[in-house]
Amino acid sequence: MRIQIRRRRGPEIGESGTLSDLAFLLIIFFIVIAVFNVNQGFLLGLPRPDSKRIVDRQDLLRVELTSGGTIRMDGKTITLQELTKNALAFRQSHPNMTFALRIDPDTPYQKVVDIVDLVRKLDIDNFSFTMRDVP
Amino acid sequence: MKIRRRNRRRPIVSISAMSDIAFLLLIFILLISLINYRREIPIRYPEAETIETTQGDKNLEVWIDPTGGTFIQGVRYNLSGIEEIIVEGIQKNPSLRIHILADRETPYRYVHGVMEILRRLQHRVVSLVIRERKPE
Repeated sequence: MRIQIRRRRGPEIGESGTLSDLAFLLIIFFIVIAVFNVNQGFLLGLPRPDSKRIVDRQDLLRVELTSGGTIRMDGKTITLQELTKNALAFRQSHPNMTFALRIDPDTPYQKVVDIVDLVRKLDIDNFSFTMRDVP
Repeated sequence: MKIRRRNRRRPIVSISAMSDIAFLLLIFILLISLINYRREIPIRYPEAETIETTQGDKNLEVWIDPTGGTFIQGVRYNLSGIEEIIVEGIQKNPSLRIHILADRETPYRYVHGVMEILRRLQHRVVSLVIRERKPE
């Protein structure tokens, strides 16, 4: 009986195509990962330390955020929806309104973000926020 | 006369050069992502509906955890340390964009502390990094 010896074929250059496929997949993966690092949020303009602006008291909408995150306006506790309604009504009667927010140092950050979000949604141009002094 | 017929060889496209290019690209992108490596602090991002892209050409991220710990590139600093790094960054690049990434439960005083530094340095723009709130 004659045994046939099979000759092994060496790897062809053309087969490295799978390697380039893999490399391109990795490239796409890293590009996608890089895109995920883009920050999103609010861009806020900070006032100069010595800047003062004279505002008519009647145009001032004063809002307070307490340490628990509740919203207070004119001494009353209100919800975010009520604040939206009040701010809209106030802007109709006072087109040059300034939204003045006073924040308690212990207020959770999310509550502050909620108010800034509301101001941006209502397109209020004059917005100032300060932190309540700690005694 | 006998005309000799030439056997046409099938054209071969060598893709070995392509894989070389692919790997060079891969190494390039790997290096770029290593340079831009971001050391994250575990925080729960605050959420809002009206967000915009705040990424600048040059960025510096200040992370604040729920206990008020402030970090830059994964290293914890106190406020004066943060100020030094910000001053150094602004001196190198005046248009440096400062991002504040604070946990949603962080007391506002700590965010205010970082913003006060920027205000003192007369750095006019700050980015508060927030995630988009999905409509319910």
